[in-house]
Amino acid sequence: MTRAQLFVSCMVDLFRPRAGIAAVQVLERRGVELEFPAAQTCCGQFAYNAGHHREAAAMGRQLVRAFEASGANGSPVDRPPVIALSGSCAAMVKHEMPELLERDALRRGRTPAAAGWRRRAEALAGRVVEFSEWLDGHDAPAPSGAASGAPASLKVACHTGCHMRRLLGLTEPPLRTLRRAGVEPLELVDADQCCGFGGSFGLIEPEISAAMTDAKLAHLATARSEGATCLVSADLGCLMQLGGRLTRRGDEFPTLHLAELVDMADQGRLTAVEIGRVASRQGGDD
Amino acid sequence: MPGILPPAGAPWPERRRRALGDPTMREAVGKSTRSLAEKKAAAYAAYPLGEAMRVRAVAARREALGHTDALLEEFTRQVEARGGHVARADGPADVGRYVLAVARRRGARRVVKSKSMATEEVALNEQLEAAGLHVRETDLGEYIIQLARERPAHILVPASHKTRQQIRTLFDDEAERSGDPPPGGDATPELTAFARRQLREEFLAADIGITGGNFLVAETGTLVLITNEGNGRMTTSLPPVHIAVVGIDKVVATWDDLAVLLQQAPMSGTGQLISTYTSFITGPRRPGEVDGPEEFHLVLLDNGRHELLGTAYEDVLTCIRCGACLNVCPVFRTIGGQAYGSMYSGPIGVVLTPLLGGLAHAPELPKSACAMCHACRDACPMEIELPRLILALRRTEIEESMEPPTVRLTFELWGRFWAHPAGFHLTARLAQLGQRAFMQKGRLTRAPGLVGGWTATRDSPPVARETFHQWWRRTRPGSPP
Repeated sequence: MTRAQLFVSCMVDLFRPRAGIAAVQVLERRGVELEFPAAQTCCGQFAYNAGHHREAAAMGRQLVRAFEASGANGSPVDRPPVIALSGSCAAMVKHEMPELLERDALRRGRTPAAAGWRRRAEALAGRVVEFSEWLDGHDAPAPSGAASGAPASLKVACHTGCHMRRLLGLTEPPLRTLRRAGVEPLELVDADQCCGFGGSFGLIEPEISAAMTDAKLAHLATARSEGATCLVSADLGCLMQLGGRLTRRGDEFPTLHLAELVDMADQGRLTAVEIGRVASRQGGDD
Repeated sequence: MPGILPPAGAPWPERRRRALGDPTMREAVGKSTRSLAEKKAAAYAAYPLGEAMRVRAVAARREALGHTDALLEEFTRQVEARGGHVARADGPADVGRYVLAVARRRGARRVVKSKSMATEEVALNEQLEAAGLHVRETDLGEYIIQLARERPAHILVPASHKTRQQIRTLFDDEAERSGDPPPGGDATPELTAFARRQLREEFLAADIGITGGNFLVAETGTLVLITNEGNGRMTTSLPPVHIAVVGIDKVVATWDDLAVLLQQAPMSGTGQLISTYTSFITGPRRPGEVDGPEEFHLVLLDNGRHELLGTAYEDVLTCIRCGACLNVCPVFRTIGGQAYGSMYSGPIGVVLTPLLGGLAHAPELPKSACAMCHACRDACPMEIELPRLILALRRTEIEESMEPPTVRLTFELWGRFWAHPAGFHLTARLAQLGQRAFMQKGRLTRAPGLVGGWTATRDSPPVARETFHQWWRRTRPGSPP
């Protein structure tokens, strides 16, 4: 049996736990023995990209510790892959964490520990796999009954986040995942343009951020006119930005995390009606 | 020595407001940047050698930076050996003083210029006009911007934010001022015909031609100019005096280095394999030569550059001013160039403006004009790690306490709580309890503090009644921690 640890990300944890639950179902359905290291909090990316590296490092160290603990108390060599439900957070761990933790240890005067923190962060970085990348790599044939419920013509608009696209180089896995789920992904015009979130930028500059989102939503409108039934992303940050702007504009177009869509496809309940039902559920009203 | 940049003009909120409130400009910028970015991608795709040369070009530029002083000395020797003059300028005032001294000695009244970011940087036009000289920009885009009394809105295509209709209006006004016939219409050929007619007179009457420079080749003392309109050649050959103002970062060692660099700016900037005109200028006219100026002056501009050598920011000096990072930047596409308050806009402007002019000169740029999407990093032919440099500037601002204390406190508390599971869960519980007051129809529509920035323009789902952590604990009670 394949073991894996789930890196749920603070945003999924707090704002859309259903996406995490869906990922659990999807992975367990594929025979994964899943652990959830309960000591995980946040990768620190938001603070990191805002320039607050001391705070980011404190969160980063906690993340490293959390995933070093394993229920099957395996030795470091056979620690399982860490499946991340956010491309952006996966990129943070893989690309920034080792240097951040080393630099922060040096800053705190913990010179002997600095190399150790780098090594520990690198070990975690090596284990992190983004969710759709994992599905793609395991070429998980959809379990029985899957996709059969989905009409072949069901179209979904797909947005791939900037860090997933550029730092992880993962543009195809989410599209292939969607096709395996029996839906036709529609990429937006200017697909590689940022959704407008941008971490602290989106909070400091709400108007510029929203103007960027509105440009994205104009392209989404085109996809909708071509029959897209919902907007899917493997990054909840982008999805909250796009969805939050949609509802602010009085538009209830469904937005779903990729894991939710795969879960529905697995169960053969992937229909436009069902998508609307799942998407409209608020995190707090489950 | 730190450099000096012209003032940003209006404060940031005002510049931002103007930009967001100008749909015509935003549409024009969106269109031109997308088109340029597509042309760049097509150019490299169709010309594999371009990529191989790019890699060598990066190495050549970085290598040159390691020997800047020696290369500048060699360059100076070579120019002087060929009868040219070389001057060093620490900052804007030095450039102005030098050019005005030449103008006075020559009794010059009229100046023509070809497009130059270095002279924008030192506000040379303003300096010369204040001394009573007549200055005319001869690059079509710069000419338009000069008539509009604006700053270039793009490093490469300074008037790309203007529509043909707006340009026609500017030209009509100019025709009225000068008593010349106005353009026949707002079609591109009619507009360029008008500009050509006007500028021809300027070229013929000019006493001094001023240019920038794309590269300097140390081994022969050659100034390299890349242009598309031919105005650079007119500027450097018709007036009796040619003065080039060039940043010290533009020097490369050899023609071999130049050979791999030469195509990168046009390929990355406009998708051209080579620019329409590539001029190599080595000193003034020599006996027996039929063209070229009587005097050739090269002003090497520092303005904060030398200080960057050997620092984490050094690579920014390899920039070839192609504008590729502007063309892919979602923030630039949204607010256009003038909102940056600097002749250097887009991602390179976010880095270069505070580095040359000081962080206090543009404290808003690193945090407000970048969404950390990394598109610029992929677009930059010189592989400048722009996102990393922007992040370093954000960090510096925090270290130098340039941030509001409330923001600082928010991050400190946040870091303290979220570095431990107990603190993390406590904040989740508090949010679950306290958020009702901020909700409407099941969504957070306003919020205190930093998060209020989010809810200003977007809704947010509330913190779930049961978080994932709580769900896992409830449904898998036996599972290991």
